[in-house]
Amino acid sequence: MTYPAASSGIDPVDRLTILAAALPGAVVATRRVAAPFDAVWQVIADLEHATPRYEPGVARVRIIERHGEFLRLLVQDTAGREDAMEARLRPGWCVMQSGTIVIAFAARRQGGQTLLAHLEHRRVQTPSPRQDQPLNPGAAVAKIDRELRVIETLAMQAGTEV
Amino acid sequence: MDPENVAAAQQGDALALDRLLDELAPYVRRLCARIAPAAADDATQEALLAVFRGLPSLRAPEAIMTWVRSVTVRTAVRLARQQDLEVAADDSVTDASAASAEKLVDIDDALSRLPASQRVVLVLRTREGLSEQEIATALGIPVGTVKSRLNRARAAFREAWES
Repeated sequence: MTYPAASSGIDPVDRLTILAAALPGAVVATRRVAAPFDAVWQVIADLEHATPRYEPGVARVRIIERHGEFLRLLVQDTAGREDAMEARLRPGWCVMQSGTIVIAFAARRQGGQTLLAHLEHRRVQTPSPRQDQPLNPGAAVAKIDRELRVIETLAMQAGTEV
Repeated sequence: MDPENVAAAQQGDALALDRLLDELAPYVRRLCARIAPAAADDATQEALLAVFRGLPSLRAPEAIMTWVRSVTVRTAVRLARQQDLEVAADDSVTDASAASAEKLVDIDDALSRLPASQRVVLVLRTREGLSEQEIATALGIPVGTVKSRLNRARAAFREAWES
């Protein structure tokens, strides 16, 4: 996991902007994280252990299938509900989606630090939005920003352990 | 291009969008690099943003490549024209460009010295193999205009090549 992947030649953070353009209502926030790329991506890629630490609604993540970059996950929320997610994960790029939500991360090196972008999107066919999800873009951005700060803390801890 | 993947992407399937981006990005980048060589990165990003923003409104998923080509070509031409204007307005850049004329060594160099309106028709005809009708569709101009621009572009290319 040395270099961010660029399978299509597009920088991952630019790629996230393009993805967001096709998902009306998607919320994206970006943070310059004071930790090296490898430490940041170690946190993002550790879906089973790290996700419940920065995502307040998630209690548990299990990877049930893995084929190269493609994963299937079982995600249990804090109320005990379980949802299946599909994911694509490689250095610098992570997209996860269930029938109701899309989550994505993109990262690029910035000197010794990392530019980390995070997208959240509720899919339009959601029949009944859950009550614990943000209701407006401002709240969604604030939630994402809190998550990015927690990821930064975890990455700085990971960086000291590397 | 898998029509089912395109349809899923149009419905907001993020993993289908991700695959579609993998498939489209090399083609969009190649077109932008040939039409707007000095602004290829910006043109690629702007074209892909326009494509993905407009994807839900695409009525014929099977015609996606024709549509992507049209969006990309028009975006690249717009950025190439901006670049032409900036170069023309900047004496120092013009001087440097004239000085480098002696180092003209390949076709891409010669193409990059043509005005954007001539470069795009020549690139689409000779490098992408499009017919005059396809070029007219991509650019949204009459076939007759494509023919006249091609004639002027060939003459300008010969001049750049021989200079």
